[in-house]
Amino acid sequence: MDSFFITVACLLLLTLMAGLWRVLRGPTAVDRMMAAQLFGTTAVAILLLLAEALGQPAMRNVALVFALLAVVTVMAFVHRAWPGDEPRHQQRGRHDDVE
Amino acid sequence: MGAAMTEAGLFLLDLLLVLTLLCLAWWSLAATDLFKGIVLFIAFGLVLALAWVRLDAPDVALAEAAIGAGLTGALLLTTLSKLASSIDNPPAKRSSPVLLWVLLVMLAAVLGYAIMSLPQQAQGLADTVASQMGNSGVEHPVTAVLLNFRGYDTLLEMAVLLLALIAAWSLAPRAATSCEMDEALTVSPIVLALFRMLIPLMILVAAYLLWVGAHAPGGAFQAGSVLAAAGVLALLCGKRLEGRLAGWPLRLGLVLGTAMFVAVAAAVMVGGAHLLQYPLASAGKLILLIEAAATFSIGLTLAMLFSGQRPSRGPAS
Repeated sequence: MDSFFITVACLLLLTLMAGLWRVLRGPTAVDRMMAAQLFGTTAVAILLLLAEALGQPAMRNVALVFALLAVVTVMAFVHRAWPGDEPRHQQRGRHDDVE
Repeated sequence: MGAAMTEAGLFLLDLLLVLTLLCLAWWSLAATDLFKGIVLFIAFGLVLALAWVRLDAPDVALAEAAIGAGLTGALLLTTLSKLASSIDNPPAKRSSPVLLWVLLVMLAAVLGYAIMSLPQQAQGLADTVASQMGNSGVEHPVTAVLLNFRGYDTLLEMAVLLLALIAAWSLAPRAATSCEMDEALTVSPIVLALFRMLIPLMILVAAYLLWVGAHAPGGAFQAGSVLAAAGVLALLCGKRLEGRLAGWPLRLGLVLGTAMFVAVAAAVMVGGAHLLQYPLASAGKLILLIEAAATFSIGLTLAMLFSGQRPSRGPAS
């Protein structure tokens, strides 16, 4: 069963590498950000699989922290991309590459 | 058969991790589009945490996860949005590629020599720490080293964090008054609901990491980083410190960790012990006390560093 978990973890890491294509090519900022967020989910899955396979329960805490804090980056991104919420520092050209 | 399969699988996993890390590091440095570079750096942090886990360093992985996911991404993205978007980077002047290659080869040679000259089997201080664990008051070796055996280093690190904030505050202009900001902000109800759901969870997880540090990976820096992420989320949701809290209560919170550490370190000297030499019976409790205060101060300091501005005391003062 352990080797099965590790095989799945390797497959997940391969999907992460495939997802890098979207980050590199874009074309929009949203594509890149969403890909990075999916990496976060993948990393949580890999950590949980490894915790089970290697018998290291401490890894679940790392997964917990990743899952809990993923939203912070998205919030920062949304602020940057849609500055309507925060009119204090509107700048021109801020959401050029979003639509 | 099963064990060999597991070994091979882990080898493949490590290989993939190293490959991904190298590619991410290179692309993130080479990206001309700053936003792309930031996203690649966020992904780099994720994969790096996985690598730390594989290197049997779950404490570092936890810190990387909390700092990387909770602070760095938001900090870089917010900084990018504050940079003038009209800046056109002039093409960097390239120095001679020959010189570059000579320097690179020299660096690689020095690093290679350093790695080759390492002893094959280095025990380090692991055995010494393991034999002294009974005197530490905690069950997790990393916490024992950080808070007890090498407590002096950690004390000075707390002071460094405080100094960083003082430096940032002395360079940044004071924030606009909180009233102006509240009028300018119209926060969407989705953001508010998210804020209400997540902040208590983040505080709970921070407390859990602090508590678990006594016998498993965790501790004040990891817990403090999660707490700081809660603060960053609050700042991103448009929350600001109330004017009456932004004065001395804030400063008290910022120095609490360092002050508590110094107080405990000095108080044990009354009983005839050396600086930071906790009595064995109460060592566990004293460490938890220091770590709790440190968690609070670290969280507050990192969140204040994220905002980068000294909060205004409001129109009253």
